[in-house]
Amino acid sequence: MKHKQSRIYLKKFVSDFSLYRIRMIKLRSLFFLVIGMTSCSDFVEAEPPKNLLISETVFNDPATVESALANIYYNMREQGMISGRFGLTTLMGIYSDELDYYGFDVNSAELYNHNVVALNPIILGWWSNAYNLIYAANDIIVGVENSNSLNTVDKERFKGQALFVRAFMHSLLSNIYGDIPYITSTNYLENNSVERLPVSIVTGNIISDLTKSVTLLENTAIIGERLTPNLSASKALLARMYLYTENWELAEMISSDLINRHTLESDINGVFLKESPETLWQLKPGDSPRNTHEANELIIQVIPGQQFALSNVLLDAFEPGDLRLNNWTGSTTSTDGTITLHFADKFKATFAETESLEYSIIFRLSEQYLIRAEARVKLGNISGAQQDLNAIRNRAGLTNTTANLMNDLLKAIHQERRVELFAEQGHRWFDLKRTGNANDVLSPIKPNWKETHMLLPIPESELEINPNLLPQNLGY
Amino acid sequence: MKNNYISQGRRVLFFTFCLILSPFFTDALNPTDVLPTHVLNHAHVQQSEIHGTISDASGVPLAGAHIMVKTTKQGVVSDFDGSFTIKAQSNDVLIVSALGFVTETISVNNQSEINIQLEVDFTQLDAVTLNAGYYSVKEKERTGSIAKISAKTIEKQPVNNPLAAMQGHLTGVNIVQTTGVPGGGYNIEIRGKNFINGNTEPLYIVDGVPFGPESLGSIDVSGQINGGNISPLNAINPNNIASIEVLKDADATAIYGSRGANGVILITTKKGKAGKTQFKANMSSTLGRVSNFLELMNTEQYLELRREGVTNDGFGPFLDNPGFDFFWPDIKSWDNNRYTDWQKELIGGTAYRNNVQLSVSGGSAQTQFLISGAYQKETTVFPGDSNYKKASVHSNINHQSSDNRFKVNLSTIYTDEKNQLPRTDFTLAAYTLEPNAPALYDDEGNINWENNTWKNPLAALEEAYQVKINTLISNARMSYMVLPNLEFKTSLGYNTYSLESYRTLPSSARNPRFGFTPENYSSISTNNSKRQSWIVEPQLNWNKNWSKAKLNILLGTTFQQENTQQLVQKGTGFPNNGLIQNLSAAKTLEVRQDADSQYNYQAYFGRFNFSWNDKYIINLTGRRDGSSRFGPGKQFGNFGAVGFAWLFSEEGIFRESSILSFGKLRGSFGTTGSDNIGDYKFLDTYSVTGLDYNGTSIIAPTGIFNPLFGWEANQKLEAALALGFFNDRLLLNTSWYQNRSSNQLIGIPLAATTGFNSLTGNFDATVENTGFEVDLQTINLQGKHFKWTTTFNITVPKNRLVKFGDLENSTFANRLEIGKPLTIVKLYNALGVDSETGIYQFEDYNNDGAISRTDDRQWVEDFEPKFYGGLGNVLSYKNVSFDFFFQFKKQSAFNNLRWRATPGFRGNGPVSLLDRWQQEGDTNLVQLASGGLSPSVGPSDLNQSDSNAAVSDASFIRLRNISLNYRIPTINNSLDINVYLQGQNVLTITNYDGADPEQSFKNALPPLQQFTLGLQIGF
Repeated sequence: MKHKQSRIYLKKFVSDFSLYRIRMIKLRSLFFLVIGMTSCSDFVEAEPPKNLLISETVFNDPATVESALANIYYNMREQGMISGRFGLTTLMGIYSDELDYYGFDVNSAELYNHNVVALNPIILGWWSNAYNLIYAANDIIVGVENSNSLNTVDKERFKGQALFVRAFMHSLLSNIYGDIPYITSTNYLENNSVERLPVSIVTGNIISDLTKSVTLLENTAIIGERLTPNLSASKALLARMYLYTENWELAEMISSDLINRHTLESDINGVFLKESPETLWQLKPGDSPRNTHEANELIIQVIPGQQFALSNVLLDAFEPGDLRLNNWTGSTTSTDGTITLHFADKFKATFAETESLEYSIIFRLSEQYLIRAEARVKLGNISGAQQDLNAIRNRAGLTNTTANLMNDLLKAIHQERRVELFAEQGHRWFDLKRTGNANDVLSPIKPNWKETHMLLPIPESELEINPNLLPQNLGY
Repeated sequence: MKNNYISQGRRVLFFTFCLILSPFFTDALNPTDVLPTHVLNHAHVQQSEIHGTISDASGVPLAGAHIMVKTTKQGVVSDFDGSFTIKAQSNDVLIVSALGFVTETISVNNQSEINIQLEVDFTQLDAVTLNAGYYSVKEKERTGSIAKISAKTIEKQPVNNPLAAMQGHLTGVNIVQTTGVPGGGYNIEIRGKNFINGNTEPLYIVDGVPFGPESLGSIDVSGQINGGNISPLNAINPNNIASIEVLKDADATAIYGSRGANGVILITTKKGKAGKTQFKANMSSTLGRVSNFLELMNTEQYLELRREGVTNDGFGPFLDNPGFDFFWPDIKSWDNNRYTDWQKELIGGTAYRNNVQLSVSGGSAQTQFLISGAYQKETTVFPGDSNYKKASVHSNINHQSSDNRFKVNLSTIYTDEKNQLPRTDFTLAAYTLEPNAPALYDDEGNINWENNTWKNPLAALEEAYQVKINTLISNARMSYMVLPNLEFKTSLGYNTYSLESYRTLPSSARNPRFGFTPENYSSISTNNSKRQSWIVEPQLNWNKNWSKAKLNILLGTTFQQENTQQLVQKGTGFPNNGLIQNLSAAKTLEVRQDADSQYNYQAYFGRFNFSWNDKYIINLTGRRDGSSRFGPGKQFGNFGAVGFAWLFSEEGIFRESSILSFGKLRGSFGTTGSDNIGDYKFLDTYSVTGLDYNGTSIIAPTGIFNPLFGWEANQKLEAALALGFFNDRLLLNTSWYQNRSSNQLIGIPLAATTGFNSLTGNFDATVENTGFEVDLQTINLQGKHFKWTTTFNITVPKNRLVKFGDLENSTFANRLEIGKPLTIVKLYNALGVDSETGIYQFEDYNNDGAISRTDDRQWVEDFEPKFYGGLGNVLSYKNVSFDFFFQFKKQSAFNNLRWRATPGFRGNGPVSLLDRWQQEGDTNLVQLASGGLSPSVGPSDLNQSDSNAAVSDASFIRLRNISLNYRIPTINNSLDINVYLQGQNVLTITNYDGADPEQSFKNALPPLQQFTLGLQIGF
């Protein structure tokens, strides 16, 4: 019975099926239509968006390479070590003996109080920002080298700037963190597990990059407001590197070259204006603010509300009659008259100023005079050294130096660096560090001071991601 | 490529056109095949008109019941008052059916009036049909895991967002509200976290159209309120939803292929019903408030700790030196006797929500329509007059040709939202402002800056924030029965989502002493974003029933394109603050972001469903997907699943059982995927940033080329048992699942030395989610007037990282552990306070004498819920019905120590901080007070916040929803008046030490407690 039934079903199934077959032919054509319509796979390729550029197209046109370089200078101005906000100028100022900190940012307070931990976001910020710019520079170096569309003049200019950026960032990194990786590749796999190199090798690489940069930029004219790194900026950094590495002959030679090419601003009040002739390289502010971050960070307008004030030890370091004390520092008194605080007033135009008067100066000629003075002392050229030192002193309304013994003169030069270059790009800290005076100077005023504070810690999260960076710097 | 693309688009259009026209070219069919021949034979017989009403057992009229004359197969539908009129012969038989009721057969027997009472059908299973997206399936016959929540449950909750209505009701679905601020978002997980990158967003389909849930908010504009997360689903009015189905297993989701890995949520809006034109008005008012405040210190307690802290730090002598007044204004210059309860002041208000909804629906057996409009205004618990307004229109038109062969359904949702909020959420300020902080306003009513000693939180009110959102979701579905068993369908969808928002920073919101002027400070940031997408899905559906076998084959293809644009601008410097909204008055205008992106998606899909004897069912589904999010050669992927069901209750031995009325064993296995990682991620790119240096616009390197970038794969396995007892009065569904996700697309963190933070790539890691879900529905009592039903659900999920290549040396080493859930956190093991030094101590796991972040965070805590679920009861007696629904969850969360672990720091904190160490030998729970200047206290404070002491039990039982409804008896049966009272988050039972166990962030407003009173009139 059951058997019979299922046979009937089967029969019906077959007959139904044959009935439909005719209609199926019609349908088949419809199916082909469906398949025909849908077989193209290029539907799933999307148009590239207008806000993205495929990397290789960037290096087909000098204008887009300029845009890629502009990204570097913009970032230098806005963040990281060079920037006037949260950069070396303010934070290494409080880390050393230049500035006192009154703000409420706990991370800055760690630097001021010398209880920096490896988790401090400033430490990571400086590190990441620097390597980010190094990647950007490396990508330009590689991209420009491989480009078939750029002409040689452009190629040299772009590559010269990018090499300078790479050297500059590494120089700051190694001065702050000690042994660091020197990144010259854009391969992320390689760079992700890179190891630290001893400072001496890093310095060698920096000098080598700068030498190449100087050669490449040789034919590029220094024009206009000096808003991008140029031959003089490369040379200025090279002279600084030779000073730091005590290569006195080369330091003297290169700083001499710069001194011959540029002139000092004679008016003490003109040094930090955007037109100052002694500026070798400066970063132009954007639209908001139209003037420097340095002015906005450092100038105390109201008390309370202040962040950074000049320390008494720095104020005491000025000789009587030093024009810089009157013209490059200012003071504000609280409404009730109980507190007066002094502040760095090199850059004067604040937020409230709607005209653009000052740019952030990164390299200026005065430093080169002081580099040459020091080199000349070491090379035994006392009168030459005195001459250079006096050029700076005289402009500040001071008489010629009386020091004529090698050690006295060196001291005088270091003292001059302190009052000439205060609250600028961390010069004071780097000088304390390289001259070995940090311990003597800081231990009396920083209760938490330890010798290991010569270096800041490698950011903790970086050690977690790349264990090849271990060990951490001593003391952290 | 562009040309190609255009021609492709044309082809799609042409194809659609063909599909629309195709019904008209199939006229060669023999009409007798589809129309019953005997209609003609009976035409000559005399017919009489029969009237009557249909009601349920308690006499309540039933609208929409179907009355059909058995012989002629002609039918009518009962009106709203249950009445009907039908023509039939005196010796005919009427078949009366209604969803959820037992079908009755009644002989006419020369009667001209027939009143029929229908009995409730306990075997509801036959009546329940589930929407599975491309097809629908009877609850009884489903092979996949589909959870459903229907309008009945949604309507009883005074909520704003469809996701809110689902909380706790569905197994395997874990939804958490991120903020109590109106218009905010929700986090949703269906069967746990599948992906290490944290993406848990399911695919949302509203009336057949995929709906992108990604917020288009810009951090520049809405970063500080709503966390930039503005849920696009707010556009869908919960009252317009007929049902929400959640597809969970492979059998249900594989047909969505690459987008099904995190589950699929299908939202179906209401449709009109045939019958008398029906008007409905619904008005309600809701009061909302923060239900739980933290117990914070008062002024005396706070200042005591502050002074003690400063003294402990060694700065005690300075407390008496007026020169340092500015350094500790709270201790020294502010009024030490002043006290303000900032929680009351800043988040203690009442949020009002007023809602009006009008709808009209009706139609004939051929055409039905529904039009509904709603307006809602909601305020916040914050000071100021912030509010959220929403107006929405929903319409649905349904038509079928008289021979039922051609069907068309058009549904449209249009919503306009306007959300004006303060720029920041005041919750953080409410918890942390010093209790003696100065008055908000000075005597003249201006914002008080108290000599520049504080940041007045109300300055944020000067800074306007507004979001306007327009959403349009429209879908047309057409189908034509080409052959009696072959249906040709096409679905055309279009939706746009546009968001316009701005945030102003006027100089008037800043302390006047800083000298900010409109010219040098005031700014406005605007974000104009738009997402448009269209989809075309032609399908063929072939259905064939033999007496024992049933076969259903579905074939279809999808073309979808989504375009997103975002323009973020910032204008700075205005002649005065009154002009701040006008970008053209800005001195400088920056374009912060001008982005567009395109996502193209194409697929083929199919389903083969065979059932034998209504006992054995096999369901095969598959999809081939192509996505533009992947590079050449990696664009296509194949996905598929097999599901089966055995209805063993149909077998001989169970057939006669008086206890077991239904029994089904089902299982499924298959793969789905995910491409939810953003567009263009495989390219090596520079981005135009909108910034410039000296007039040269900037491009920044943003992507590393990764051509090997491919789909994430997700394998799902499920076994389930469904049982019905006592005529299905008790229904039990249990299922077990195991989902494994591999080829994980993660942003692999890179060392900064690479120049990038992370690189998105496929990673050889596998995550497994297993779980057990139980769903129970019972009809406890069913009398003539009284009915009591209960629903209960519980999910026991388990998440586990199965595989992760070289985890030890990877960047995830301190976040993940093999064999442990993705939700773990690694923490320090807190050992309490050292009784000698008064400082928190931690376990030194590697015994190196120092507590370090890398090596000593070895304590593992898991934040995944251990189990969660809900228990609901519906009691109804005559005209009154009462619902209450409890949600429960067992879990841990960060407590108050996470944000304040040391007493004495500036800013208020919980009173528990008073229990601090003060002198040698003390054994208190909290370390010594510090004013924040001691080098040893800082790190131990941070470590304590990152230790197991900062984690506590956050389990809760919450009376999430109560609803009391009274249907006012009226003389006129056609008038339907309901008064209702509803409550949301009514009561929470928990040991959790914090504002809300579901929300452990201190800077977001906890979900509010809300009560609603409403009136509904229908006629």
